[in-house]
Amino acid sequence: MNLEIFIMNGYGIYVWSSFAFTFFICLFLYLKTKKTLKKLEKDFVKEAQNLPEKQFEDVKRQKIAKEILISQSRS
Amino acid sequence: MIKFLNPSYVFKLSGKLLNIFKTFLPPLVIVGLIFSLFLSPKDYIQGDSVRIMYVHVPSAWISLISFVAISFFCILNFLFKLKNVTLIYKSLAPIGLTFNIIAIITGSLWGQPTWGTWWAWDARLTSMLVLMFFYIAFIFSYKFITNSERSIKACAFISVLGLINVIIIKYSVEWWSTLHQPSSISLTNETTVHFSMLVPLGLMVFALFMYVAVIFLMKYRIETIRIKKKSIKKI
Repeated sequence: MNLEIFIMNGYGIYVWSSFAFTFFICLFLYLKTKKTLKKLEKDFVKEAQNLPEKQFEDVKRQKIAKEILISQSRS
Repeated sequence: MIKFLNPSYVFKLSGKLLNIFKTFLPPLVIVGLIFSLFLSPKDYIQGDSVRIMYVHVPSAWISLISFVAISFFCILNFLFKLKNVTLIYKSLAPIGLTFNIIAIITGSLWGQPTWGTWWAWDARLTSMLVLMFFYIAFIFSYKFITNSERSIKACAFISVLGLINVIIIKYSVEWWSTLHQPSSISLTNETTVHFSMLVPLGLMVFALFMYVAVIFLMKYRIETIRIKKKSIKKI
């Protein structure tokens, strides 16, 4: 195995650390944002379903609410 | 154009765009990483440490462009009180801060083998650090100021001050003698980066901007759902 790819004439530690740091920060931000989005969508659906029938039907008619309900039912 | 001011249209569009970007992002990142880490040549002076440029430069650009966009939307909101615009800058600010931190850390990791120091109080580095504080102050001002009128004013004030700092960042390498090199890529002057390095840089810029778009759209949806949740509670 060619170790030069990792060592990079002694610069490997700096190069790999930079890429690893960027990758993990981006991954963390992505997972955290995704988790928050899913949680909010779930909470929204729960709150909407707890409304009385007529009000729930009103909420379902709103475009954004409809979109959230569809995306939740898909997942 | 007017339909882009309609929150329900934008929300629906964000869902569609999110799916498209999520599909293209992983292959683009993989190709970008292969080019940056393995296929691009070494620099004749800096050797392999130049590869740090492929994450450092796009991160710095994203943090600067995000702040300029935030300032633009804050001023727009201050003048015309558009609700949708608030969602845009609230979604952009955490992304800008993240990439500002990435730019500072990767810059430090590049500085050690190139300049022999992790940090220097030179104009470019210091002004980037100041930008980080502007981002933090901006996020605090919309998170902790509950009065919306005051929050809009504070956000506009901080963003205008921060915009002055962005101009200082841009011209710091020309106005002062700095450790940081002048810009190698320019829209108006000749670009001094070789084509073999421009390709991986372009790929990484494209990949990271697509990543920013994904996070931005997700955050935009989060902010919209928060508002919708509040309106449900009022029913």
